[in-house]
Amino acid sequence: MSDLAITLLLVLSLFALLGTGVWIGLSLTGVAWIGMQLFSSRPAGDAMAVTIWGSSSSWTLTALPLFIWMGEILFRTRLSQDMFRGLAPWMNQLPGRLLHTNIIGCAIFAAVSGSSAATVATIGKMSLPELEKRGYPPDKTVGTLAGAGTLGLLIPPSIIMIVYGVTADVSIAQLFIAGVFPGMMLAALFMGYVIVWALLNPSKVPPADRLMSFTEKLRESRSLIPVVILIIAVLGSIYTGVATATEAAAIGVVGALVISLLQGSLTWETFRTSLMGATRLYCMIALILAGAAFLTLSMGYIGLPRHLAEWIGSLGLSQFWLIMSLAAFFVLLGCFLDGISMVVLTMGVLLPTVTGAGIDLIWFGIFVVFVVEMAQITPPIGFNLFVLQGMTGRQLPWIARSTLPMFWLMVLAVLLLYMVPEIATWLPQQMRRSA
Amino acid sequence: MRRTLDLLYDAAAWVAAASLVGVLAMVLTAIISRQVGIHVAGTGEYAGYLMASAGFLALAHTLKHNEHIRVTLLLQVLRGRGRAAFEVWGLSIGTLLAGAFAFYSVKLAWDSHVFNDISTGNDATPLWIPQLSMAVGTVILLVAFIDELVLQLLGRRTPAPAGSEAQRIE
Repeated sequence: MSDLAITLLLVLSLFALLGTGVWIGLSLTGVAWIGMQLFSSRPAGDAMAVTIWGSSSSWTLTALPLFIWMGEILFRTRLSQDMFRGLAPWMNQLPGRLLHTNIIGCAIFAAVSGSSAATVATIGKMSLPELEKRGYPPDKTVGTLAGAGTLGLLIPPSIIMIVYGVTADVSIAQLFIAGVFPGMMLAALFMGYVIVWALLNPSKVPPADRLMSFTEKLRESRSLIPVVILIIAVLGSIYTGVATATEAAAIGVVGALVISLLQGSLTWETFRTSLMGATRLYCMIALILAGAAFLTLSMGYIGLPRHLAEWIGSLGLSQFWLIMSLAAFFVLLGCFLDGISMVVLTMGVLLPTVTGAGIDLIWFGIFVVFVVEMAQITPPIGFNLFVLQGMTGRQLPWIARSTLPMFWLMVLAVLLLYMVPEIATWLPQQMRRSA
Repeated sequence: MRRTLDLLYDAAAWVAAASLVGVLAMVLTAIISRQVGIHVAGTGEYAGYLMASAGFLALAHTLKHNEHIRVTLLLQVLRGRGRAAFEVWGLSIGTLLAGAFAFYSVKLAWDSHVFNDISTGNDATPLWIPQLSMAVGTVILLVAFIDELVLQLLGRRTPAPAGSEAQRIE
């Protein structure tokens, strides 16, 4: 069979399995099995078991369940109330006022959580009702929240960066650090948009709350101190090289438990639900990763990634067009797959193409996270939109429309990232130098 | 029967959750022992084994909670018989693949035992011991799939509404 026929057969069977609702992790296993049976003499079953065991018990992946657990613990604390109360007094004088609590709140929570839907849910729990009560335009409230929620993926810790790091064999610690500036840049773009919008439509911005004195503001914000310490402990230990990503995650879990204890929200019940929630969430991802590991092995036997790299190489695409077509491909794929499945599915095949084009893998990781984020806020599958649908009871198209400006800002951010790659690569380079 | 099965899934999930706590304990041990200057061998490997146990033993429980993700675009537009047919199809393929997964996982642990495979890390663990979690977990997953398939065929399967938990990954 020719390469093209093989590829078509595998892609078709994959889409048939996924499309008819077979569980994603198992679909990947099934396609890998077909590939192994047809194109390799190695016994498929034994290869599957060994590969899946190896990937499921690897030390580098241990950061994943721990960061998931940390997020689950913090999700069940009073953090969302504290965040709103602590941030609101400072935002009153900015044009756009409390809309900024959405963005900064998400940016801060993103630094302790690896997931953007959790970020949206935590920050929105408090800011949605509070902003509505004060009369902020609902489309701006929802739009900024959905957009800024994507910072959960970009600002470390980040579940999807761990998944990318493991699949592409890149240092997770460096990926995390590489996400810091792009995350801050995106937050700044969102805030800039709110400011410009507010200056153009002053009548739509409700009046400020009672203005507080500086010391009053500080007093309101003191509940945020533990979170800030936690962020510094986790990111600081990774940046300085004191701890690996896994160790930082363990410190994070302990820190989250301490915060929860200090707040008085740590009960046996919250501990149990956070632990079980984290176990199920990790298990769900682990099944996808297991299927992906086997699929990558199978693809390697067929030689698909190498052929694809050679084919794309022969097209003579410039790096810019390669990046842009990949971005379009990811956003399209994101129409029916979640981010993690997307990353594991494509990286096994695309890696040689990317390295062949001379693209830095750390930079590419940040790029992939950006594109996955964009997919996250575009229908029909956009987890942030689903969360907001659940929280506001509004229709999906309305939510998607409110989020559209944020989508364009992210397109702009990707272009900036392409033109100035140092936004992502500078900080990890400093880290390597000092290490 | 019903109660025994549910107990089986939940008990495995509890061991999985305990394993997750174990991962934390291993990593903390590594950090602390390094600070104090004592060398504890193999914490990295043990953390890996415990993570595998956390993943595999929770498989069935997670399936029962409807938190393993799948593409539901087609299922959502279908109603009545068409939907039931696709549910049976998905569950049958799932059962088949879970069966292969379980068979070869048991075989892996068995082979490791027979050939006396030892971890190449500095923990020197006989590999069949940690691989038991994979064998047991995947067998329980197979049981859960058969369970779901039978319930579906009997028309008694009530899939939980798509969990909000699953959405928290991204």
